[in-house]
Formats: sequence, structure tokens, C-alpha cells
Amino acid sequence: MAEVELDCMGEACPIPLVKAQKKIEELAVSDILIVHIDHSCAMKNLPEWAREAGHNVEIEEIDDGEWDVIIEKVK
Amino acid sequence: MSNLFDRVKKHPYYLAFLKDAWPYITGAVLLSVFQIVTLAVTGNPWGVSAVFANWGAWLYKLAGGVVDKWYYFAGEGTPGSLALLERGILKDPGTWRNVGIIVGALFATLIASGFKFKKIKSWRQVIAAVLGGLLMGYGARIGFGCNIGAFYSGIASLSLSGWVFGAFLFVGAIIGSKLLVKYFM
Amino acid sequence: MSDTPATAPDAGTSGGIRRSLRSTSTRKKKKNQIPMGLAVLAVIVIGVVLLAAGSPLLAFFWLTGNIFGFVLQRTRFCFTAAMRDPYLTGGTSLAKAVLVALAVTSIGFVAIKYGAQAQGLPIPGQSFVVPVSLATVVGGIMFGIGMVISGGCASGTLMRVGEGFGMQILSLFFFVVGSFWGAHDFGWWKLNFIVRGKAIFLPDIFGWLGAIVVQLAVIACLWIAADKWAKHKSAAEHQ
Repeated sequence: MAEVELDCMGEACPIPLVKAQKKIEELAVSDILIVHIDHSCAMKNLPEWAREAGHNVEIEEIDDGEWDVIIEKVK
Repeated sequence: MSNLFDRVKKHPYYLAFLKDAWPYITGAVLLSVFQIVTLAVTGNPWGVSAVFANWGAWLYKLAGGVVDKWYYFAGEGTPGSLALLERGILKDPGTWRNVGIIVGALFATLIASGFKFKKIKSWRQVIAAVLGGLLMGYGARIGFGCNIGAFYSGIASLSLSGWVFGAFLFVGAIIGSKLLVKYFM
Repeated sequence: MSDTPATAPDAGTSGGIRRSLRSTSTRKKKKNQIPMGLAVLAVIVIGVVLLAAGSPLLAFFWLTGNIFGFVLQRTRFCFTAAMRDPYLTGGTSLAKAVLVALAVTSIGFVAIKYGAQAQGLPIPGQSFVVPVSLATVVGGIMFGIGMVISGGCASGTLMRVGEGFGMQILSLFFFVVGSFWGAHDFGWWKLNFIVRGKAIFLPDIFGWLGAIVVQLAVIACLWIAADKWAKHKSAAEHQ
């Protein structure tokens, strides 16, 4: 069960989401993708996309205005 | 005192109202409410970009320039107004509203303890911001407005122009997306 | 909906995603920004009071601006994403939200406009009914490209300046420059294209009731299309 980190700090909308969509394809099922973001749009659209796609998602606020979006690839 | 604020931070009503993001539909309804209020009270719908041309004019004036002969400001029934420029920025309602949007967003971010200054990361972002800003500014003036004034308010005002502008916003967005992926990622 | 923040390393979070131990103790202590938020709120309120003393209208614009900014940030509402995501990411939730906003606002606007006419008063907001011409087309395309590459439209840029995005501060400055340039060229566009266009107010064609019905019907069709598009894209991803 690999853990892959994707640093998207300082990226403009919608780059975190597009990068995450591409990255998750490289992962095997039950791998975990951790996306580091500081963009409030991404904090909403990343989990929304991941849930729509059927993955497990958790959001962790790591500092003011910074989040880790943790996605477990389910299928 | 800081203990009080820390306790507030965990309170469910704080979380629901001020910290967690609200659903998009809530936003749609609330924006609509205040658009309608705006039309009722001011006689005009919400607009954002016309103000920027005025800011440009005031800056230009500071640099010694003059726009008296520009059709945009001097003409009859044009979006610009020399009278408004004369009255000055502090008396420009649109300026107060636009600055209000900035401050309102700042307030929302701080009260949710989510503020962080995000510095520009790369030259690509600089070029994107410069080019994007110029395109938006120019496009909004010849299109009689932006996503708010020409598109949102235009359509809501039952003007065909809103739909046409919107359709081509969509076309532009697709072109922009291709550029984004190719050059700005 | 976001889950509440996890502060302890993963071990034993029931139902949570299991991840390797991450040391949260080495991270900076989070500052509580609520006091700063309240200070900004005080500025907003003082602004309303001071402006109202001289001009209730200015106070109104200041207040509604703050409300719009607050709502936009709180809901992460983004017109740019509404137009861009269907193509770029396959998502249409914002597009649908924008359609809802268009529908609800249209209903309110048509009521106000019709009411004014029915009472023999001038119809408010008609200056926003503008001629359709090549300028509309070119303007739309330019604005569409600009908003996507800069990461924010007009309202979105202002909102992100408030959120502290350096990139949007730069974008705003050039938005002003571009607007000024556009104002300069406006006369040329007017003479060559806008003057040949027509301003079309839908009630003039369909009548008041007809216009709102047609508009809502179109919005409903677009909503369904957006819904189907997202499902189609989602299915295509899981082949």
C-alpha cells in the first residue's frame, strides 16, 4: 500500500485537481495519494471529484490556509 | 482570552456557519438574493468590471493624463462618465462595492482561521496573471461587462447579449484551458 | 463536506484512512485568526456607519460588496470553474450552481421590471440590455481565455485578493490596465461593430411571461445537459 505525496502548494486553480487526476492513474488500488494544497477552491473540488470517482477521501487542516487531501484509491 | 477563541474554534455552530465551506447551491441562492436586492435598491444589477476602467482613469490622471476626449467617458449613454470621474474615487459607489468584496472575502477567510499569503511561485504564474488580467480587462469593456455584469446580470436582465456573451465565455474558457495545460502547468 | 481535522497521528482512527505515522508535533502551532477576523468585521461595520452618515447609497454598496465577498469565499463559488471544469476536469457542480443563480435572479429581476412597467414607472436596469455585435463575441472569448489562465474572473479575482493570493493582486492590476485600454478602444468598437448591433430585450419578443418561461426552460435544459455530461465523464473514467 504505497503512499504518494503531491505538492501543490502555491498552485493556481485548477492545477491541484488536474495534477491529482493524472497522478491517481499511476497508483494501484488501495494506494494513498496525499495532496498538499493551500488553495481554498481545491479544498472543495478535490474531495468532490475524488468522492464522485468512488475513492475514500479525508481532509486534514495542517495550518491556517493549508490542507492535506488524503485520497485512498478504491477502484 | 485566547482560550475563549480556541473553544469557539471547536464549537459546532462556529464550524457550520463560519468555518466549513457552504454548498454551492447556498451560494447561488444568496448571490441571487443580493442581486435582486441590488436591483431593487440601486436601480441597476451588480457589476464589477466597469469600476476598473475608472480606476485606470484616476491612475492616468495622477500621471498627468486626461481622458476628456475619449468616447468611452465623454459620450452620451456610454458606460463611462466624466461626471463620475470628477466626483472622485471616494464618491464612486462601484469602488466601495469592489473593495467591499475584497474585505468581505478577507473577513470570511480570517474568521475561519484560513488566511495565508500565497506568494507568486514562478514566472509562468506572472505571465498568466499579466496576460489574463489584460484579456479580462479589455474583453470586459468591449463586451459591456464581465462574468458578473455582462453574463450574470445580463442574462438575469433578460437581455440576449448575456446569453451570447456567456456562450463565448465558454468558448474562451475551452481555449484558455488548452493554453493552461500546455503552457502554464 | 469536510471532515473535522485530525490532530493525532493516524493510529487507531476508526474508519479513517490508514497512513504512515506523520509527526504533527513538529508542525507550527496554528494561530487562531478569529480575533483578526473580528477586527476586520469592526472595520466593515464602522465603514457602514461612517458612509451612511454622508451617503446611504455608498454605505449600501460597501455593505453589499462585503456580503458578496463573504458569500463567494464561504461557498467557494467560482464562475471561472463553472465554465472551465466541464471541459478540463469533467465536473459540472459549479456550472449547475451558476444555472440556479441565473434562474433565481431572473425570476426576481423580471418581477421588479414588470412591476415597474405595470405601474407606469421607468424599468430599472435596462442599461444592462446591450447591443449584440462582434464586440460581444470577441469580448466573451477574450474574457473567457483571460479568466481561465489567470485563475479567476472579475469577482473571483477580487475574492482571491482578499484571500491573500499574490497572483491575483498582479492579475487585478493588469485587469485595471486592460480595462483602461479597452475603454480607450471602445470608441473604435462602437463605431465599427456595436452600432450595427441590436439590443434585444427578451420580453419584447416573447412578452413578459413568455420571456421568463423561455429563459427558465433553456436554463433547465442546460442543467440537464450538465448533469448528463458529468455522469458521462465519470463513466468514461472507469472503463
